[in-house]
Amino acid sequence: MISLGKLMRWLPALLIGAGLWQLGSGTWVLLKAELAQYLISDSWQRQLVSGEVHKPWPWADTWPVAQLQLGDEKPLVVLQGISGQALAFGPGLYETSGLPGSSTAQTTTVIAAHRDTHFRGLRSLRPNMPIQLQGRDGRWRSFRVLGAQVADSRSGTLPAFAQAGDVPDLILVTCYPFDALDAGGPLRYLVYAESAPDTATDHIVEL
Amino acid sequence: MNRPFFHAPRIQRDLLILPTEEYYRRRYRKNRTGSWLLLLVTAIAVLFAALGAKAQELEIEGSAERGAEFESVGINDTGSGDLLFQTGEQGRYIPAIHLGTEVDIKVRGLVAEVTLQQQFSNTSNDWQEAVYVLPLPENAAVNGMEIMVGERRIVGEVRERQQAQKIYKEAREAGKRAALLEQQRPNLFTSRVANIAPGEKIAVEIRYLQNLRFDSGQFSLRLPSTLTPRYMPGVPVVAEQQVSLNPHGWSLPTDQVPDADQISPVMMPMNELAEQGSHQMKIHIDLGMGLPLADIYSPYHEIDFRSESDHRYNIRLKQDSVPMDRDFALYWRPQASAMPAAAMFAEQSATDSSQYLQLLLLPPQGDAHSRKLPREVVYVVDTSGSMGGNSIRQAKESLLLALSRLDGMDRFNVIEFNSDYYTLYPRPLAATPENIQRARDWVESLDARGGTEMAPALKEALSQQLSDEPGELVRQVIFITDGAVGNENALFELIRQRLGEVRLFTVGIGSAPNSFFMTKAAQYGRGSFVQIGDLNEVQSKMAALFTKLESPLVTDLQVQWPQGIKVEGYPRRLPDLYRGEPVQLVARFDGNALGHSGAGEVRISGRLAGKRFIRNLSLSQLTVDISGKGIGSLWAREKIAALRDEQRERGQSTDQDVEDPLRQQILHLALEHQLASPYTSFVAVEQTPVRPVSEPLKSSPVPNAVAHGQVQQPFTYPATANGIYGQWLLATLLLALGGLLRKWRGAVERNLRRWLRGVLPDLRGRNVPRQERVQ
Repeated sequence: MISLGKLMRWLPALLIGAGLWQLGSGTWVLLKAELAQYLISDSWQRQLVSGEVHKPWPWADTWPVAQLQLGDEKPLVVLQGISGQALAFGPGLYETSGLPGSSTAQTTTVIAAHRDTHFRGLRSLRPNMPIQLQGRDGRWRSFRVLGAQVADSRSGTLPAFAQAGDVPDLILVTCYPFDALDAGGPLRYLVYAESAPDTATDHIVEL
Repeated sequence: MNRPFFHAPRIQRDLLILPTEEYYRRRYRKNRTGSWLLLLVTAIAVLFAALGAKAQELEIEGSAERGAEFESVGINDTGSGDLLFQTGEQGRYIPAIHLGTEVDIKVRGLVAEVTLQQQFSNTSNDWQEAVYVLPLPENAAVNGMEIMVGERRIVGEVRERQQAQKIYKEAREAGKRAALLEQQRPNLFTSRVANIAPGEKIAVEIRYLQNLRFDSGQFSLRLPSTLTPRYMPGVPVVAEQQVSLNPHGWSLPTDQVPDADQISPVMMPMNELAEQGSHQMKIHIDLGMGLPLADIYSPYHEIDFRSESDHRYNIRLKQDSVPMDRDFALYWRPQASAMPAAAMFAEQSATDSSQYLQLLLLPPQGDAHSRKLPREVVYVVDTSGSMGGNSIRQAKESLLLALSRLDGMDRFNVIEFNSDYYTLYPRPLAATPENIQRARDWVESLDARGGTEMAPALKEALSQQLSDEPGELVRQVIFITDGAVGNENALFELIRQRLGEVRLFTVGIGSAPNSFFMTKAAQYGRGSFVQIGDLNEVQSKMAALFTKLESPLVTDLQVQWPQGIKVEGYPRRLPDLYRGEPVQLVARFDGNALGHSGAGEVRISGRLAGKRFIRNLSLSQLTVDISGKGIGSLWAREKIAALRDEQRERGQSTDQDVEDPLRQQILHLALEHQLASPYTSFVAVEQTPVRPVSEPLKSSPVPNAVAHGQVQQPFTYPATANGIYGQWLLATLLLALGGLLRKWRGAVERNLRRWLRGVLPDLRGRNVPRQERVQ
């Protein structure tokens, strides 16, 4: 039997320890997400210059594929894949969806990220707000937010493979509700955006 | 103020017991602590209530589709979701083309002749091209394709792959009805039909032949109807690729799977397809082997069968049609008295004087429970995302069963892999009860997620058993997977190079496993394979595998063809056989020798448990089928497979300019026998154009159904929350609680003691020493 006195002496220490651990791990996730973006954006720049796939660190199991700017926020480097490992460091591109400028151009681009790190800003997007996406070719493409939808991940899948013309060009996915305490909720927040002609090309068309 | 004034009766001061300072201090402190505790308890209760309420709320909102509240939250738009989809219900993809399949199977001798008719009906208002990824059995010899428009039939022809593509493309642009069938993998084809008018239905009929499987006295036949999405290892190839005909695949070509976009179709849940009335399959089987059967059953479907004269059986599905979301399998067992020990069928070639022979021979079986040799077994289990759902349960169950089968003399290890691999022990350990128990606990905790990086795991499994100890340790690797990978060739090569003394057995898991991978990996691994499609099957199938693992095998198999006749038989080298497996051969004889008195005999010899055996089969009494075309096709198919193996061993030349002599051989053979192959495709074109040039043609993928019991892979939602807020809140609470407890430790302890004293019976009187120890 543990003596009550001893328990009382250790319990506060234990609780504080557990509290610090929780605090630390939560903060670490956030820190990792922010710091990794610096490293990744570096490898993205190198990749743009060299044209070859650069892994942000040698043992990484993902690599940057695009850069994404929501509204006028700081650009985020998008990683390949939506595995937990990739999403910890940045928004992830669905393996099966296409990027504008790649050979399978007619497919929708689908990008997912954590609602409490990189896609915190998703809730503040409003229709007609601009989204910029830089592909591997270095060109920035403009998108315009169409709207948002809350979907239940248990019933149905991403509306990404509809016939051409019926789906938006870009879908951003994150968890919903934004301030939920637990991580495993079934709801997802989808932002749809359509390709907006660049202002430069607009000009040419008008001329 | 006319309130009455009461005076307390005066009490003499010395009669009074007034509270001391200590009393006030205690009372004060108790109250403070109590209120703090109350606050904490309330806070925690509120937190839990909030969490619970939220969970409940989510459930409610989840079940009710798009709750009104959610529309208004977030972006202040007006029901934007509906505007986005003209197809009606949001988030639902409605396929433009519906698919129906009718299968007619005729079993004669050791061959199944399958006619697969697929109707593509265009439900849209546009002219359509349908693109469908067609799964077929891994040993199918595809020898016919026709388009059927109403009553008209347009017969397809075999052409060199590029040429067939060109013909098809031109016909498509010209508005002619056309169909193209290309082989991507031995068990995966792409079927395209161009220029289906709005509302029209066009059927494509594909004919193939298939060897029956015979194992442990049981014949079987498997017909896949969908596939498990393959994992494509490697880095996407960015360089400009030769743009294929019509990229409907979702995976980008990678450096390890250059045709990834060709073999990764759109997948849709079966229930959504069924709502559209699409993806239904009808099956009819005419089973006429000429043997009285004891037992016919299908493990995944309900069937009805009727026995007809001459030991023929007519088999149908109990329901009219079934969803195309799992393999169809049929097993039948001849009556014990009619169990064949050998079977031979011969057929005359239609074009020249050659004859084809198909042979099945059951070697002596020996004693089932002979001496069990100590084994060293490495179990490799696939825990990738494609195994999610029922598959991982089947895999775990199989593995647990396998672990329970080990005994003290054996050594074992377990490896799990997805994007990475993890070994339970660094090296195989003795199968002591403790080690097995630890393995069981570990296996129970496995989860399916991530990619399927099979190569590193295979390498590790094959290099685990490097121990130099001589002796009679039988080395085995048991590989439990659904084979959902796109880089099969690289894996076969790896097995071939690193196998050494090991034997590799595959256990195929799931409703639509990659049978090509299972059989070929087992062939290269000099092992055997079983397929488990249902949790109920685990016990019986694994038991069959254990019998094979633990029984002596038939080795040194040699076949001696009669002298003086030119014979080309396949497989070239007979594999070692496990218990219950037969010798299966197809051969081509030159010069009309079969069935005549001078044909001589074929001699098959081998060794079982140290004893040599010889079987002679006379070829002179054979009846040669004049009209058949089956065995010839199968022979050509076997030869192509052998040539492909050779090609794989040499390493495929990536240089397109250098002519590969093996490629020429395969091409020639496929054209001669009118077979689909890696280098030949079927193409059918109607001569008159039907689509006016002014009308555009849309190209639509026909989805494949997500296999039964599987979690849909590519387009499921990821987990997109870390739960940082929850963690922080928990941290704050814990810290606050800890800090308070620290500060008020004495008081809390005292109170707790007092409370415990009230609640617990007082033991002090009876058990003084113990109480002292407590204090």
